[in-house]
Amino acid sequence: MKPSKDLSERALGWLLLSPVALLLAIVVIYPVGQLIYSSFFTIRLTEPWLGTPFVGLENYLKAWEDERFWGALMNTLLFIVVTVPGSLAVGLGLAMLANMPFKRKWPVRLALLLPWALPLVFAGLIFRWFFDNKLGFFNDILVRIGIEPQPWLTDPVLAKIAICFTIIWKSSSFMALVLLAGLQAIPKSLYEAAEVDGASKWLQFKEITIPMLMPAIFVALIFRTITAIQTFDIPYAMTGGGPGEATETLAMYIHKTTLDFLDFGYGSALAAIMFIVSIIATSGYLKYTQRSAGRD
Amino acid sequence: MSIKKIVLAATLASIAAGSAWSQTTLRIFTGGQQRPDVMRKIADEYEKRTPGVKIAVEVGGATSDAQQQYLNTVLTSKDSALDVVLIDVIRPAQWAAAGWAEPLDAYLGADRQKVLSQYMKAYVDANVINGKVISLPYFADAQFLYYRKDLLEKYKRPVPKTWDDVMETAQIIMQGEKNQNLRGFETAGAPIEGTVCTYLVPLWGEGSDITKNGKLNLDTPEARAPFQLMGRLKQSGVLSPNVGEIVTDRIRVNMQAGNLIFAQTWGYVWNRSQNDADSQVKGKIGVAVLPSSKTGKGATCIGGWQLAVSAFSKNKAEAAKFVRYLSSPEVSKMQAIAASHLPVFPSVYKDKDVIAANPWFEFAGPIVETAKARPVTPRYQEVSDAIRSNMNAYLSGTKTTDVALADIKKRLSPVFNK
Repeated sequence: MKPSKDLSERALGWLLLSPVALLLAIVVIYPVGQLIYSSFFTIRLTEPWLGTPFVGLENYLKAWEDERFWGALMNTLLFIVVTVPGSLAVGLGLAMLANMPFKRKWPVRLALLLPWALPLVFAGLIFRWFFDNKLGFFNDILVRIGIEPQPWLTDPVLAKIAICFTIIWKSSSFMALVLLAGLQAIPKSLYEAAEVDGASKWLQFKEITIPMLMPAIFVALIFRTITAIQTFDIPYAMTGGGPGEATETLAMYIHKTTLDFLDFGYGSALAAIMFIVSIIATSGYLKYTQRSAGRD
Repeated sequence: MSIKKIVLAATLASIAAGSAWSQTTLRIFTGGQQRPDVMRKIADEYEKRTPGVKIAVEVGGATSDAQQQYLNTVLTSKDSALDVVLIDVIRPAQWAAAGWAEPLDAYLGADRQKVLSQYMKAYVDANVINGKVISLPYFADAQFLYYRKDLLEKYKRPVPKTWDDVMETAQIIMQGEKNQNLRGFETAGAPIEGTVCTYLVPLWGEGSDITKNGKLNLDTPEARAPFQLMGRLKQSGVLSPNVGEIVTDRIRVNMQAGNLIFAQTWGYVWNRSQNDADSQVKGKIGVAVLPSSKTGKGATCIGGWQLAVSAFSKNKAEAAKFVRYLSSPEVSKMQAIAASHLPVFPSVYKDKDVIAANPWFEFAGPIVETAKARPVTPRYQEVSDAIRSNMNAYLSGTKTTDVALADIKKRLSPVFNK
């Protein structure tokens, strides 16, 4: 039967949606609108005598010429490119492991949950000590196997590696949780049929697990990509953006511009740019979900 | 006395009594490192003397940056929750520009000159911005050269006067002690506020400064000296290779563990290194003025904490009274004895009880009096960021002197050369 689409039903639909729409307007649309609006003004709390004149696109042009902005953007992109696939791979491995027929399931699940339940900044602080030059766990291992201790957090390349490692450690468990739910929804009968047909484990993984898991993978990737764009806590706690600004992300630079330099106009422009980057980065995924929805 | 007058007097008396009953609660904000426990004791004393006033002490972040980030959100939203705020010595200019501090001139009234003349001059300069009293000092601080008295005696070396002496003495002792954990010298190198002083102290020691007559002054050979000095110290192994991750309190921990011969750090370290149960260096620490170059005069970075009345407070008059109490020689003495906080009044340094509790105050006083202020500008945070991140990059070996200095100049010229 076709669902009826007369006007009154439609009006009722709108009526029922309106509280949510209003809430969204207050907590999402208004702040985003205000942000874009203030990005066209000079708003410097440190120099109130400048007033708050309309400056058009000046803040955006400033960003275009600001090396530090480009550096922060590149660092952010690097963290996305490395840690999104990284945590997907590790998360998938963990999910497969947790999906094995253990006698007791809860210790495995708990171990999976713990890194996810830990606040980001705690993870950053813990790994800052792990990577510490003198007292750190990683340098202790290096010294024991006869390698020179490394300046993990004060070398630009090593610091990026250390941060990526920490982000992957922290975010893999969330990926694993989402993927585990997906894995458990795959009917056992498919694998049994494949066994009968003589398919190898690898072929089963490639031809059954991965395609059946695709929707879960995409959900996990969208969430992970959005949080990767906003990377802040872990580098903030581990290096403070150092050495120099070698590990500063866009979110950290926005935080610094607004909350330290009190330059709200420029900070708003940077945040608007980050908003655009988020939209571009996630639009690919959204396209996929729309396509798959249309297929159903 | 007519009945009318008696009724009037009784009415007035009951109004007065009534107002005494009505409570005013003042909320003061302080950082976790500024001894909130001592602040609480002082507040208890004030409550005893001032019926009707209760003091609530709110404790914020551990670092000056973390505190100010929180305060920025409170104050930009014009929140009246805080009445008095303890702010770092680098902030009054920014607070004045942003209009966050209630100028205290009107509350000091005729006493203004008398009150200001009691303080050390450096603290008057720090708190009076464009002729207005933005805040009043709570306690003083400065960076000192901490040294291991026992090791200097063992190797018969004098207390160093120049940076060359520091390097030479440190090398001799390090070679003699053959202790892998012992480093010659340490100063802040992470991208934090303290690292600004790591650059400024040697620069001042050369007799130069960031600005000259309000304009940027970094095209001088002296501007390169701090980089070259730190580079030499690091290359010779006197400065630890991980100096790029050293934050303020890490220096204290290393000094206290007996792993340092010299350190450039703040006043609080003396008290902790002498009193903490785990200190390996009780009675083995000396404190002196920071070294200079061969030609210059030793200089130090001024520190310390100031009391501002929030412009959004609903109890400004009461808050100003409380600030005057907190910024008095009496409270300064209480702090000096309970927390080794350096006084802002020259008179308190001579107090017998204070010296008995802190023998080193006798020579610390003159050092604090010569301490210099970091650049005074409402855009200080940008100045600080440019210096600390480039110094950090240099100390980590990712930028050369030329690149680091050029990057500092590029960032500072919009602030100073407008």
